[in-house]
Amino acid sequence: MPIYLYLDRRTFIHRLHPTVKILTIIGIFWSVYWVDNPVSLLPLGLLLLAGAQLTRAWPNFYSLRWLFILVIFATTVTWIIFYRQGKPLLHLGPLFVSRASLEYGLGRGIKLAELLATSVLFLSTTKVEEFAFGLAEMGVPYRVGFAITLAFRLVPLFIDSALTVVQAQSLRGYDFNRGGLITRVRRYVPVTVPVFMGALRKANNMAMALEARGFGYSARPTSYVHYEMRPFDFAMLLGVALLGAAYFLIYYTGYGAIAPR
Amino acid sequence: MKTAMESQRAIDAGAAGEPAGEAAALEGVSFRFRIGAHPALENIHFRQRVGEMVGIMGAAGTGKSSLARCLNAIIPGFEYGQFKGRVTVLGRAVDGARVCEMAPAVGMVFQDFEAQLFSTNVAHEVAFAMEQVGLPPAEIRRRLGPALEAVGLAGFQDRDPTSLSGGEKQRLAIASVLAVEPAVIAFDEPTTDLDPEGRAEVFDLIRRLRGRGLSLLIIEHETEEMRQCDRILILRDGRIAAEGPPHRILADTRLMNQCGIRPPGINLVLAELGIDAYAASVDEAEALIRRSLGLPADFKVEAAQTAGIRSAAFQPPSSPQAPPLVEIDHLTHVYGGQVRALDEVSLRIDAGEFVAIIGQNGSGKTTLAKHIVGLLKPSAGRVLLGGRERAAMQPAQAAAMVGYVFQNPDHQIFAGTVGDEVAFGPRNFGLDAGEIQRRCDRVLKAVGLESMRGQDPFLLGRGERQRLAVASVLALQPRLLILDEPTTGLDYPQQRRMMDLIADLNRAGTAIVIITHTPWLVAEYARRAVLMRKGRKLFDGAVRDLFAQEELLASAAFRVPEVTALSRRFGMVALTAAELAGALRGAG
Amino acid sequence: MDELRSMWGNTRMVVLSAIAAALYAAVLVPFKVVPFIPGVTELRPANAIPVVCSFMFGPAAAWGAAIGNMIGDFFGGVGPADIFGFFANLVYGYVPYKVWQVLAKGEEPVIRSPLTLVKYVIACLLASAFCADIVGWGENLLALRPFLMLGNAIVFNNMLAAMLLSPFLLAAIYPRVKAGHLLYQDVMPDRPQRRRGTAALGLVLLAAGVAGAWVTGNLISTGYWTPHALPASMTQPPYDRAIAIVVTPLVALAALGLELM
Repeated sequence: MPIYLYLDRRTFIHRLHPTVKILTIIGIFWSVYWVDNPVSLLPLGLLLLAGAQLTRAWPNFYSLRWLFILVIFATTVTWIIFYRQGKPLLHLGPLFVSRASLEYGLGRGIKLAELLATSVLFLSTTKVEEFAFGLAEMGVPYRVGFAITLAFRLVPLFIDSALTVVQAQSLRGYDFNRGGLITRVRRYVPVTVPVFMGALRKANNMAMALEARGFGYSARPTSYVHYEMRPFDFAMLLGVALLGAAYFLIYYTGYGAIAPR
Repeated sequence: MKTAMESQRAIDAGAAGEPAGEAAALEGVSFRFRIGAHPALENIHFRQRVGEMVGIMGAAGTGKSSLARCLNAIIPGFEYGQFKGRVTVLGRAVDGARVCEMAPAVGMVFQDFEAQLFSTNVAHEVAFAMEQVGLPPAEIRRRLGPALEAVGLAGFQDRDPTSLSGGEKQRLAIASVLAVEPAVIAFDEPTTDLDPEGRAEVFDLIRRLRGRGLSLLIIEHETEEMRQCDRILILRDGRIAAEGPPHRILADTRLMNQCGIRPPGINLVLAELGIDAYAASVDEAEALIRRSLGLPADFKVEAAQTAGIRSAAFQPPSSPQAPPLVEIDHLTHVYGGQVRALDEVSLRIDAGEFVAIIGQNGSGKTTLAKHIVGLLKPSAGRVLLGGRERAAMQPAQAAAMVGYVFQNPDHQIFAGTVGDEVAFGPRNFGLDAGEIQRRCDRVLKAVGLESMRGQDPFLLGRGERQRLAVASVLALQPRLLILDEPTTGLDYPQQRRMMDLIADLNRAGTAIVIITHTPWLVAEYARRAVLMRKGRKLFDGAVRDLFAQEELLASAAFRVPEVTALSRRFGMVALTAAELAGALRGAG
Repeated sequence: MDELRSMWGNTRMVVLSAIAAALYAAVLVPFKVVPFIPGVTELRPANAIPVVCSFMFGPAAAWGAAIGNMIGDFFGGVGPADIFGFFANLVYGYVPYKVWQVLAKGEEPVIRSPLTLVKYVIACLLASAFCADIVGWGENLLALRPFLMLGNAIVFNNMLAAMLLSPFLLAAIYPRVKAGHLLYQDVMPDRPQRRRGTAALGLVLLAAGVAGAWVTGNLISTGYWTPHALPASMTQPPYDRAIAIVVTPLVALAALGLELM
């Protein structure tokens, strides 16, 4: 079962240095932070759409379409309600809508959608081991990085095991959807307990196998993988720096703010 | 301790200098886990020469793994308990070493391949142990290719280990160990969880490693694979019960039976015929029998001798009036819009039958079984239970017709006590308390767990948990019981016990379908066999008729038991050693 | 909190953290398809898992919760606020064990009497609220979503899972893990202990900080109350600066309390 978003496409974005990818994300987060109005967020949105095209990541965007729609919708509505500024166009009890609150709400919605798109692009183009390499480069201790990789490997295993348990219990008359809230909660028990215990049975064996492979021999194991920085990586960093600067400029000149206060 | 390269040099030096160098030794080793009343090992003395291949056999819980784990300090460095004695590897004392420090000298391959793969990519997995012991990246890259090549996984570098088959996963684990170039490699039941192809792959590989002069220690249940060892150790209750070359140990069928090991079928035949000699293959056994019984080269067992056997064979169902328990009609199943897991399969199962479904992994066995119990919906065709459409039945009605025991009992056990576990199904279907009580009593007695009613099922042994899983399905009183590989992970006495239990249920009237890879189980217990290949039914009929069709079986990668292969040399199809010996005695 | 660092030296603890993470993510991911809708509370069974693990594995459960949540984010997309999600979950997986150490040292976390129930509720409530404080505070700090919206829903969801599902799982799993010698105190028997008085003081500070942050976060983000001392520019939506000044010290106070425990 494919549960991760990685798409094996080998485009030039896939081949970026892991650290460059992580820095790019940080650059986009930075850019987004400075501006509020929807228009100023548009250029970044277009860049992200171009990214989706270049990495051929559309299938992931399609499968997450409801998440995008909900993020934009829910965030916009929430902030329209909370952002009680400007001249009211509509004021009904707690409901307060102004041009400013509309703009602000929509801006927040687009902003969160863009952050989500950034991460979808990252995950579509980055393997777990590249991510781990990037983390190590940024100073995350070896064993923490290892636990993260191991956890990534185990998730599909546990999901498979849960599906089998559901089948086994359903044949014994177990009905997942029967009863009220509390009964339903209790119904997680016959599924969760076997999955949990199966996992814990593995814990000792895994720790044993790890030490038998020399885990702990050296506090800093060597790493055979090495990613070289290539010209395109530097170009990408330059591009991200320019993007960040441009967005700071938009903020500084006031074009990123909500128009009339 | 030394680095991997140093230990490699030590081996090279040892191989060049003293040919009879010592790879490992245990002197007076005893160990007792902090839980557990009995010692796991008691006063073990054991020496392994460089380049020697030693097999360790014995029933479950006799200390086989514990012995191997002393070599790389898992005992007592990782498993806590009372340890006594002295362990040396390549002449150096292991005394007080940490487990990780032993990695360059002793490699270990475990049974559970999922618990010894840690990476999301094949190349990383092979590099893992090398990275841990601090080999420089250039050296790791140099060794990566040959290690993968050695296990037949060249070209798999970028694959996700999850996408590999069981046999491939286990070979990957071996590659990771090999790459460090340890002097000794211990294999702790490396093929117990694998299908026959996976087993063959791994044992072919072990044979090649032996050819490279590595010192190997192999823990294994199946005797056929142990013939290639230089020496076999049999453990019982933490002590060495017997020790010697295969031709002495494996010929002693009585000893093996006493120690909970299934003797090789061909040696059983020889023993039954009173031939006091060892055969390492079907060819050798045939020659021995012909010579000892004075049979001419063209001798065939006469039809008269096999007549009794014939009559006991499977009879095709002959009561068309009563609706069959299960009727599968041109069933097709397509996974994910493309893979045809089942292709127009039709099958009929009647009351009281004992059917074995065999075939390679991916041949559609489990898919077929899951359709019978209704876990899958047909892409085309239909499934009838007792003459009624399966799809239209209530879960309770279907459960009273057919029960399904999953391969791993731990996928269903969750309750606090054995009794509650068994009662879970009947309670779900709303039976009254008295009836639940009666059913629990009966099925717990049937599986021999009546004295454990109040115990925590998680603390039971594997064989007991497997029987509990059967009991909790039996409590729904199905007329047909389907068991998916009910003997995986069990030792020989447990396997026997499980199969005898199933045979008893069958005699009491429950129809049985087992999905299995184990040839001797099919031969000794099933009456009818269904052979699957690539989603199609290749054969459906008496086991004996199937075992006569060697080409057909070979096309589905199924090997008949050695006893059957041997009996074919004498012109008959015998399913057990006793049968063959009886027929030959009559002739001789 | 030194054990959050020292546990990495023990192979079994490393494996347990990966397993706790994978179990958490394995339940999170399938439910990820239903995104978080503001104001609508759903039962998130996954939230029961960090609590269960916490009582058994202590610091390994903390890292497991943090990493597991991160893997869940990998599935649905990451944002800058996920760094707060990381720490919020770290706390969610750590606090129950810590509070239990102070309130009920040596007792099994299996509810058999009203008094154990009370202790259990306190442990879970502090964990849930601290977790919610960090996410609400962080997201409001970045002006992404108001404190009120996330803070309360998280407390409610966490408590629902911790009260309805976790006790059943603990009753089924804890005694078996104990029998298998995989409890934190069995895996790492020699770890330093705080003096009782210091730990009790820590608990008080933790409770004060958590409660204070929750109350002020709610008040400020809705605009009902801001300290009079603050300049007018800070008392406007999205109130990010007011939150930064008022709530930050309270979150820090709770963290200090945790350190003392």
